[in-house]
Amino acid sequence: MPDIPVTADPGETPGGTADAARAVDLTAASEAAAADVPPELLAQSLGQYLRAWWRRVRGGDSGVLPVVLAIVVVAISFQVANPAFLSAQNLVNLFEQSSIYMLLAMAEIFALLLGEIDLSVGLVMGLGSVVVAELVQPTGLNWPWWAAIIVTLLACAAWGAFQGSLVARLRMPSFIVTLGGLLILQGVAIIVLKGALVSIGNSRFTNELVLYDIFWGQFEPVVGWILLAVVVGATGTGLWLRDARKRRHGLEAPPRSLTAMKIVLMAVAGSAVVAICNVNRAHFGTIEGVPYIIPIVLAVLAAWTVLLQRIRFGRYVYAIGGNPEAARRAGVSLPNVRTWGFVLAALTAGIAGVLFASWQVSLTTNIIKSANSYVLLAVAAAVIGGTSLFGGRGKTIHGVLGGLVIGAIYNGLYLLGVSSWWIDVVVAGVLLAAVAIDVLSRRGAPRQA
Amino acid sequence: MTVDPGGTPDGPADTAMAVDLTAAPVAAAADVPPELLAQSLGQYLRAWWRRVRSGDSGVLPVVLGMVVVAIIFEIITPEHAFLRPSNLVYIFGLSTVYMVLAMAETVVLLLGEIDLSVGAVALFGGVVAFKLVQQPGPGWPWWAAMLAALAICGLVGAFTGTLTARLRIPSFVVTLGMFLLFSGILVVVLGGANGAVSASPLVPNQRVFYDLVQGLIPPVVAWVALAVVVGAVGTALWRRAAARRRQGLVAPPASLTAIRIVLVAVVGVAVVLICTINRGTPLVAVQGVPWVIPIVLVVLAALTVLLQRTRFGRYVYAVGGNPEAARRAGVSLAAIRTWAFALCSATAGLGGILLGSFFFGQYSTNTADPGQLVLYCVAAAVIGGVSLFGGRGKPIHGVLGGLLIGAIAYGVSLLSLGQLATPLQYIVPGVVLIVAVLVDVLSRRGSGSGTRA
Repeated sequence: MPDIPVTADPGETPGGTADAARAVDLTAASEAAAADVPPELLAQSLGQYLRAWWRRVRGGDSGVLPVVLAIVVVAISFQVANPAFLSAQNLVNLFEQSSIYMLLAMAEIFALLLGEIDLSVGLVMGLGSVVVAELVQPTGLNWPWWAAIIVTLLACAAWGAFQGSLVARLRMPSFIVTLGGLLILQGVAIIVLKGALVSIGNSRFTNELVLYDIFWGQFEPVVGWILLAVVVGATGTGLWLRDARKRRHGLEAPPRSLTAMKIVLMAVAGSAVVAICNVNRAHFGTIEGVPYIIPIVLAVLAAWTVLLQRIRFGRYVYAIGGNPEAARRAGVSLPNVRTWGFVLAALTAGIAGVLFASWQVSLTTNIIKSANSYVLLAVAAAVIGGTSLFGGRGKTIHGVLGGLVIGAIYNGLYLLGVSSWWIDVVVAGVLLAAVAIDVLSRRGAPRQA
Repeated sequence: MTVDPGGTPDGPADTAMAVDLTAAPVAAAADVPPELLAQSLGQYLRAWWRRVRSGDSGVLPVVLGMVVVAIIFEIITPEHAFLRPSNLVYIFGLSTVYMVLAMAETVVLLLGEIDLSVGAVALFGGVVAFKLVQQPGPGWPWWAAMLAALAICGLVGAFTGTLTARLRIPSFVVTLGMFLLFSGILVVVLGGANGAVSASPLVPNQRVFYDLVQGLIPPVVAWVALAVVVGAVGTALWRRAAARRRQGLVAPPASLTAIRIVLVAVVGVAVVLICTINRGTPLVAVQGVPWVIPIVLVVLAALTVLLQRTRFGRYVYAVGGNPEAARRAGVSLAAIRTWAFALCSATAGLGGILLGSFFFGQYSTNTADPGQLVLYCVAAAVIGGVSLFGGRGKPIHGVLGGLLIGAIAYGVSLLSLGQLATPLQYIVPGVVLIVAVLVDVLSRRGSGSGTRA
């Protein structure tokens, strides 16, 4: 929250280490700067690159390393407890469940990067799901599915613009605005639902079928392989050509071996996913192939990564999250960027809403109320993934990886027959632990330097 | 640090915070209680009006809000039923939970922190207390069960406070996690999704819990008690003011003291009068003052003394107003913050016991939504006049805000809205919360950049 520093205490009381995190950050900014440079820019060989990366990890900016380790630990633990955990069938199932968390975490990251928080993403998703389902009802408005999705996303974005304006222009605390917002949305969603049930499960209507297939549909196995080849080929060529051009122009570029390794890694991971998805996972009959949601999540990931890492808007987001005053003095319009951050968060939550409608098939008032609990998981997923609560540090990929951890915990505990109340308790513990680690790593970072 | 003292050309970004810093010395004059400056009633009123105009309006908005809400609901409810004695007493019973939770939240808001777990912790405390008096079961005496529940809640609060105060994890994230944690633990303690626990009015030990909200003080006793309380409070107020005047200390004018005593008496008489009107049937009389009214007053008095008259209270205001200044003055921020969270959660535990009593001694997973509860109580505190930014507010604000929220919630439920009834239960507090915070933000901004400065 950008207004925290005003009340921050730059020192420590004798009895405790109160408020040190904030103060340390400011004083250490210049020292930490060296460690913040991506190792790609400094390294000229693979060995150098790895050493630079390791230095950065030790400096507290560990990127995706902790979350990848967490995924490995979670996977091993649950596999030991229940051998069905890593079966192809459960892995696809797990990914499908996680996709909602992933999208919501990617939404939350826009707010977190700005040093704000959006507690309404769960209910924006809830509203989006109800709206899209109501719009395609053959007995109701009977809109084509694509129009329904577009209008749903626009409606969610408009709500984000409203909340964002309150936060950005009036400087109301974002957690209060979005807390009030989620209550209002809960009411609005129930009104849109007309107190009844809405379902998209009727396969006689094309529009409902398309919506249903977004979550439950999959590519033919062969198509999966072809798509993989196309995607890996295109991205690989793109990566290679870009790095080659950089090297040709004498710009800083990663070593050639690293580019090759990245491409190979991508191909291996992609092949593993496609191979797992192409195993028949039905008890009776045949269900095989890559679910549509995998490319959907990847497309959102790619779009938001480009938005945040490659264009001016993204740089402004990081600038504001890192130091709003510095950003303002540099000429960045804080209200505009903040408002757009909330718009993008709500838009992404709207995409999650379309998936949610497709996943649930039938939506009831109770399901809408339960959508609220997703926001905590979204925040937890983003923070577990490596996004800082204090703004300015994090990437879209963190949301995807963090969402996978949350999904794996849910799925694994469920497989073990743990009741949902205890699962909530575990997730709360994970959230608190992730936040504590975030705080401690920020505090630890400058001390290493 | 990260404050932006100006606005960008197209928006007044971040001015609220910056303005506050620069305006602190200017606003100081307006922050002195008018009692300290005024020597006559006229002076006092003028000083008070100056303070209201500068943005520090105290209880005025919430009192006006109550009048407006009462008039509106009286007009639009079917048969103009809103102001019937039976409804007013019911609203008071409903509001007591919000009042106690809002007072709990006030302690934390004064520090500039927030506790989003009060709803879940309150329900947890209530369920623990109810579980402890079960027979067969632990069968504890009611007072031991109550103390144990409050102590456990206090420990939970101390844990939350430690995470916030010593690790400086933002309080809204810590308490969001604690909210989820205790929403789960609550159901586990209750014994699963269909679990329930009740305090039966037929068992003497459990009847105390049942009676906290449901029990009534007979009219005669109520009148006597009112006379005693008004007499005692009035004498104490009068003698204190007289003593101060005698010793040449700053004191309110005598006329003001008299007006205050009369006001206390009038409000007391009105409440007792409303409560002693028979609200049952001519055959089965239901009349008397609910026990919960003196209980809330005792909590209010205790917290007011703690926050306004003790060193701890002064430190809370100091930390909320300017933590850095407080730290340099030698206040241990971590200790004050931890204690404040512990106090908040313990008070919330009491609110949870009252909540169970309000629902006729029944506790189940459906009794109350902890998420909604916390929103109501934050809204109640902010509507009552407690600032979200710390350092400004009193326990009485929580009581008045809680009453207003209770009145709105009950008024909405009285309207025959059909399908809109459920959604409005969510929308109304959401809008109220946002508007209350908006007013808080704008009034803070106004107080600094006012023309009088």
